[in-house]
Amino acid sequence: MGTILGGRGMRGGWILAVLSLLILAWLVLNDLVDDWGRLEGGMDNLVIFVEESMWPPNWSVLEAQSYPVCENDIELFCSVGYLGMMETIKIAFVSTMLGFIGALCLSSLAARNLVPLYVALPFRFILAAARSLPSLIWAILFVIIIGFGPLAGVLAMTFYTVGYLGKLQYEAFEGMPSDCLEVSRAMGLSHPSTVVSVVIPETGNHLLSQLMFMFEYNVRHGTVIGIVGAGGIGYYITTYLKFLQYDKVLALLIIIFFVVVIIDLLSLMIRSFVTDEGDVRRPTWLRGMIKLWKKRRASTDAE
Amino acid sequence: MSTQQPVLELKNVDIGYNDALVNNVIARVLPGEIIAVLGPSGIGKTTLIRTIAGLVEPLQGEVTLHTKKKGGLGYIPQRLGLVRHASVRHNVALGAKASISFSKTMFEERRNRVDEAVKALGIEDKLKEPVRRLSGGQLRRVATARALAQRPQLLLADEFLSELDHKNVEIVIEAVQQLLEDGTSIIMVEHHEENVRLFATRIWVIEDNQLHDYSLEEWEQSLEEEE
Repeated sequence: MGTILGGRGMRGGWILAVLSLLILAWLVLNDLVDDWGRLEGGMDNLVIFVEESMWPPNWSVLEAQSYPVCENDIELFCSVGYLGMMETIKIAFVSTMLGFIGALCLSSLAARNLVPLYVALPFRFILAAARSLPSLIWAILFVIIIGFGPLAGVLAMTFYTVGYLGKLQYEAFEGMPSDCLEVSRAMGLSHPSTVVSVVIPETGNHLLSQLMFMFEYNVRHGTVIGIVGAGGIGYYITTYLKFLQYDKVLALLIIIFFVVVIIDLLSLMIRSFVTDEGDVRRPTWLRGMIKLWKKRRASTDAE
Repeated sequence: MSTQQPVLELKNVDIGYNDALVNNVIARVLPGEIIAVLGPSGIGKTTLIRTIAGLVEPLQGEVTLHTKKKGGLGYIPQRLGLVRHASVRHNVALGAKASISFSKTMFEERRNRVDEAVKALGIEDKLKEPVRRLSGGQLRRVATARALAQRPQLLLADEFLSELDHKNVEIVIEAVQQLLEDGTSIIMVEHHEENVRLFATRIWVIEDNQLHDYSLEEWEQSLEEEE
């Protein structure tokens, strides 16, 4: 009996469950869509749109704008692509850092293994509330409250970051080994001391990884909040969309893609310094650079 | 009975999680005493230590700690409770941090205590090393150094001498002598009889849900009678 349930019978049950869910999904979709005829010719439309409007990307977004007059020797630094991307990165950086600190304060009061349930619940509620509004809605709210510009973007992303990172952080805290917390409790360390000296160092790798993920997320979402006037590269994307300059939009999207890839590489590099050896492998070029740097330092010391 | 003020008093305490593992414990610990808790696995030794540490509520009775100073209770659990991703210095400093009050000289005092503790345990060359890279014996020495830097009035140690070779046991015991000179009491769970003879002044044996309090001589005698 046990073999049947744990073996083929169990597998059959799983297959049946997945199939039933797929059929249910199809039925719901069928109910939602009233005209399947719209799909007809959709692919042709896409090809025409890409060929005629988007491709090739218009790299003039990396040339200096005609106004204001560029005073820099390097034209790129006065271009829409560079200025927009830099503003988005700055907004993302500031809001990630502010959000990280805010989230740490709240999540240390929301983790069940650090505080009693009656303390944790209200803080979990606050974090859930901050998270339940997408960054775009936060951006619209702040644009209404304080007007257009990067400050609205920073505040919107900070609030969202607090909610999102806060949840990830208290889950990481709750997953940490209990023995070091018990020692600090028995020794009589205060809650802030326990958080600073035990919890943060013990979960440091998770926190760093979440921080890098959030920065990358904020860079990507910085483009979206720009659309509602909260600053960054999104502002230029909306403008080009309004004027049907899809080739320029594509060029900006490619720039965003490269920046996200670079942030991903940076994240990998930073995490390789703090994780257990072999856990996150350093890229070959980084290992080469570290070796070279050590060699140079050794030769300087010898001199 | 001694008139000395005890560090710890257990009055009619029932110990356990849902059902009592040890019933009606009546005991007191005086300054400078070293108590070895003995008994087979699963009998309630660790639960007793955790109850005294305040991590488990007693089912009944009263556990009273008469430690006046900050960080008066030290604890070395079976899994040592070290911050794995931090350095040896950081871990040892936690002990000092728990017991030194806020003052102008606190940072200097902390540093001195850490330096003294790691020197006593022979791990001064590992200060910057992350704890996760150390061997089992070295980890136990770090946990002991943390307790040394804390200078508690009562130290609870759950099998802190196990997994140590003879040489390391000697190093740890020699280092702990410093605490004993300051009047620290120790309650330790121990399995090896030779360590008990080397170190303990009194024995608590948990048997048939009861805690029996013996002097070292009484315990030796009971062993002989059993044989």
